[in-house]
Amino acid sequence: MLRLFLLAGALAALAPAQGLPERAAQVLAANCTSCHGGSLRVSELDLRTRDAMVKGGTRGAALVVGKAEQSRLYRFAAGLDQPQMPPGKKLSAEDLATLKAWIDSGAELAGAPVASGSLAAAEDRPITENERKYWAFQKPVRPPAPAENAIDHFLALKWKAKGLTPAPRAEKAVLVRRAYLDLLGLPPTPDQVKAFVNDTRPDAWPRLVDSLLASPHYGERWARHWLDVVRYADSGGFEYDRDRNNAYRYRDYVVKALNSDKPFDRFLKEQLAGDELYPGSQEAWIATGFLRLGPENNVKNEQTRLDELDDLVVTTANGLLGMTVGCARCHNHKFDAIAQKDYYRMQAVFFPLKPLERPLVDPAAEAKFKAETKAVEALQQPIKDQLKALEKPFRDKIIARRKASMPDYLRTALATPEAQRTEGQKLNVIQFEKSVENIYEDDLVRELTPAIVAERKQLVAKIADLDKTKPEMPAAMTITEPGREAPPSHFLHRGGAGSKGSVMTPGVLSATVREDWPFPAAPADAKTSHRRAAFAQWIASPDNPLVSRVWVNRMWQFHFGEGIVRTPSNFGKMGERPTHPELLDWLATEFVANNWSVKHMHRLMMNSAAYQMAADDTEANRKLDPDNRWLWRMPRRRLEGEAIRDSILALAGTLDNTIGGPAVLPYIDPALYQASSKRTWNGKAVDDPSTNRRSLYVFSKRSIPLPMLDVFDKPDTITSCARRNRSTIAPQALILMNNEFVHLQAKAFAERLTREAPTVPARVARGYELAFGRPPSAREAARAVEFIQASPAGLNDFCHALFNVNEFVYVP
Amino acid sequence: MAAGGGIPGLALANMLAPKQPHFPAKAKSVISIFCYGGVSHMDTFDPKPMLKQRAGETIPGKKVVPSQGNPGGLMPALWEFKKYGQSGMEVSSLFPHVAQKVDEIAFIRSMYCTSNDHGPALFQMNTGFIQAGYPSMGSWLTYGLGSENQNLPGFVVFTDPRGGPIGGAPNWGNGFMPAAYQGTPFRPTGNPIVDLRPPKDMTDARQRRWLDFVAKMNQDHIERNPFDTELSARIESYELAYRMQTSATEAVDVDSETAATKKLYGIDEQRTEYFGRQALMARRLVERGVRFVQLYSGGGNFGDSWDAHWDLKENHDQHCGETDKPIAGLMTDLKSRGLLDSTLIIWHGEFGRLPISQRMSGRDHNPYGFTVWMAGGGIRGGTCVGATDEFGLEAVEDRKSVHDLHATMLHLLGFDHTRLTYPHNGRNMRLTDVEGEVIRKIVA
Repeated sequence: MLRLFLLAGALAALAPAQGLPERAAQVLAANCTSCHGGSLRVSELDLRTRDAMVKGGTRGAALVVGKAEQSRLYRFAAGLDQPQMPPGKKLSAEDLATLKAWIDSGAELAGAPVASGSLAAAEDRPITENERKYWAFQKPVRPPAPAENAIDHFLALKWKAKGLTPAPRAEKAVLVRRAYLDLLGLPPTPDQVKAFVNDTRPDAWPRLVDSLLASPHYGERWARHWLDVVRYADSGGFEYDRDRNNAYRYRDYVVKALNSDKPFDRFLKEQLAGDELYPGSQEAWIATGFLRLGPENNVKNEQTRLDELDDLVVTTANGLLGMTVGCARCHNHKFDAIAQKDYYRMQAVFFPLKPLERPLVDPAAEAKFKAETKAVEALQQPIKDQLKALEKPFRDKIIARRKASMPDYLRTALATPEAQRTEGQKLNVIQFEKSVENIYEDDLVRELTPAIVAERKQLVAKIADLDKTKPEMPAAMTITEPGREAPPSHFLHRGGAGSKGSVMTPGVLSATVREDWPFPAAPADAKTSHRRAAFAQWIASPDNPLVSRVWVNRMWQFHFGEGIVRTPSNFGKMGERPTHPELLDWLATEFVANNWSVKHMHRLMMNSAAYQMAADDTEANRKLDPDNRWLWRMPRRRLEGEAIRDSILALAGTLDNTIGGPAVLPYIDPALYQASSKRTWNGKAVDDPSTNRRSLYVFSKRSIPLPMLDVFDKPDTITSCARRNRSTIAPQALILMNNEFVHLQAKAFAERLTREAPTVPARVARGYELAFGRPPSAREAARAVEFIQASPAGLNDFCHALFNVNEFVYVP
Repeated sequence: MAAGGGIPGLALANMLAPKQPHFPAKAKSVISIFCYGGVSHMDTFDPKPMLKQRAGETIPGKKVVPSQGNPGGLMPALWEFKKYGQSGMEVSSLFPHVAQKVDEIAFIRSMYCTSNDHGPALFQMNTGFIQAGYPSMGSWLTYGLGSENQNLPGFVVFTDPRGGPIGGAPNWGNGFMPAAYQGTPFRPTGNPIVDLRPPKDMTDARQRRWLDFVAKMNQDHIERNPFDTELSARIESYELAYRMQTSATEAVDVDSETAATKKLYGIDEQRTEYFGRQALMARRLVERGVRFVQLYSGGGNFGDSWDAHWDLKENHDQHCGETDKPIAGLMTDLKSRGLLDSTLIIWHGEFGRLPISQRMSGRDHNPYGFTVWMAGGGIRGGTCVGATDEFGLEAVEDRKSVHDLHATMLHLLGFDHTRLTYPHNGRNMRLTDVEGEVIRKIVA
């Protein structure tokens, strides 16, 4: 009886906990084990058995039996510690309570391990109807607008609503300077200013815009904007930052595409899949250099490969789509309707890529290049042998010395007969013997007598001279793929190589399409998967809601200082909303309807009355809209470092305006960069005229930026740059005040003025006209003449001052 | 973080104006001593007697993967260790002067990083990311705290005269932040900043007259645009640049120091002269309100850095010999001036070295375990956190990542590392990415 009673009591005590193991197992299976258990064990954590939970993963034990508050499993789920688990989802209060009670009561499972959750379910993230309605995912619809200039119409609606008065039209001298700096990145010459100011025809302005768009320097200026977006550089970054001597062909391709007004959809298709879509076009091959522009790690493993792919997905998404798809590498996007799966479907598009330096000559010419190289090498061999013989006695001396100064552990190891050495001693000896004869050049040279040094130098020089006679084969930085079949890529839970989920098929952003975008199988004779071809068709499709908006918004930003969406690479919820949504949509539809013509959009924007407004403030407007969000005046914009340097060269009359070709390396003070055996800057002399090219052609070395550009907020070239920083700092002043290059240009400018104008007042007038596109006022002229005449270096210093004043470095 | 640096176009004065951190903190500035190339922890601050016992053996059940070539066998420490101070911390004979300071130092013997390559590991130590292009520690601090001295850069870097670290300028780059937060490299001799001084024929009187002329032209221009603060900031930047010409030169004028001070830093001895000068310049800069000073020991290639692949004995004798006395001197000097409390010193490399031999008697890179130490500004001296295994191969106890180190540094300067953010391409970026925990044990 007593016994029976006790048993009943025990049962009663257990009763509230009954079913807990089953319920806990359900919570775990539904929320945890798809990533932590079964085929996938993120952080090496398996949550299917109690033992495995106690053992834990790379972050330590997940379970402390009997103590929920100390168990990571519970703490992450309850939000007591970061990261929140499961990612992006909070457990219900009931499920949490179940987990807590279960752990606190001993965490027993009812015999069987917890079931593995479904991978597919964990990877799926459906897009809701409501999410599809987000403005940027809706295809732009052309709003009604009057025929004259829709831009002015849409801006005027806002001015009216906000009580703002638009600024009056700027003076013609201001307009011409604005147009030149904006479209060419160079100031107009006094003759060019005069020609426009004196042109009284009613269409003088649109004629000017047309003539500038026809200038080959237009492509140079606007290529710079595109190159910022695609983080272009002439070197590979990371530790070695190797030069990419063929990258410039891609840069020249961009210049040419802009100058020829290549339809923008075609421009994008060539860059993404030129090899697949236009195999006969050498230009399209060069365009695929886009896929190679990112930094390249010299360490090659699965993780670095994934990082490179990430860089490409992120740049494509931010740059072309204005979507922060990169956020979905490790989890579904927290704010936007971007599934983690979308990230891996986009990654699958690029996954097969392999680099290829593609010869730009026919096979016969290629064979000739190779034969010529071999012939030179044959000539080098006897000299190399001679060098070896010359060095031998000195190398031997160093080796002998090294052997005499071994540390004890090594001496012991070497003294031990080979058969009796321990495993480690064997390894130590191998290390020593392999290295003892390996001598660095510096160490060797220290050992040589002066006579031998001289003799050696001659031989080394001979070899180097022969190197220079080796022919260079023209090649483009392009890509290829291993074959028609793409190698498998996977969904990666938490983004790491160690957490592979399902095999991925290529795809596009789900929120922008009703049905999966078709990725047809590659043609039977294809050498690549043709995934990029299908992806490029989606990017450049008139139905793509993002691409046209993103590009016209960037153009707007470069013309008007800020975008209609002020976060030009983020049209998502965390970005800014468009200030003028109808205008943005009108521009996007107009762009597509006009065969994606970039020049058409330039004309529209620049021929608007808005573009021709003065930049002056008015007190009343400022009170209502201090940030000029409603664009009631033209913003004044500081020139980029490139345009400042180019303008200085233009004023000095030293600008070499050759278009295209390999990059140039102007002088950089060696104190400002750190050379290494793999990385250096072979800059020319500071006064070498061959480096007086436009800054677009300055070699863009990721680890060694040109200080003049760097100090003025040159982008980092590592990630896509949506909008340049515009900081104002003392080192900018120091460089324009004191830098030798700037002083040399001031001197050249002074010589030019002396040549071109006979008297001091005439030189002052010419200086003002060249620098600012206007004559000096009487007061300015008198002050400058006095300044010049007061010192022998007066004219130099006057010219130098023109480079430094605000009026010179701002677009009016 | 409400700092205004996220707004492009913001004027200099606002970007570098002194700002308050999240909470009050002792440390106001940081001196990072970067032993570039990688210091052998087993031969300096992390004694492993087991290596002596098991010299010429292999680690049972462990496959050691060197950065290059095949592994050697275990190699003992080539220097003897002794206990120092009240804390009884063990230091090898490589650092006799620093050893006298152990009671003021907190050692982290369980550091690890994620790259076995100098470049990425350097970037990680400096920016938290293995890739170039992210803002460096100094940028984050000047972004967060501004600068106390508007006549000097807020973030100054001295590289080794034999050459700079691999990877170059991105090591002190501002990444996606405005250029105002970039590290300014100072040259150890002559004019500290490139383009600081005008060409020789430009006398001060001539330059002053020139500046006044520029100012007048700018004045006319701004009268037509009276509300544009960017234009006025740019005018101001010229006066600042002019003042910087004098103040930067004065700030590094080591010769104005007493003979005793110079001796303290080892400037009177050839071997310690260069690093002694830089350490003394670091003190002078911190004294003048510079927020972050980074000193590189080791540069260029191979033997010129701490990268002792060939001959550890020769390499570490040289580099420790060059830096030991200046580092201890810096600590003594800062303390006697009451600056040690407000200055955080971080001594570190980009990784450690392996317990096995390489080549003749060198050691290869070790990202799996190494030692970093901190002193001054809010640090609990005489402490030690974490441990590597018995051979010094891997951090096993209380493992600390580079993010943890950065989180701790920011904490000591008054910042919650999760709240010091900068918006970039749609994300609020952090020095510590999405990780990092403050190492509480070493915080006083």
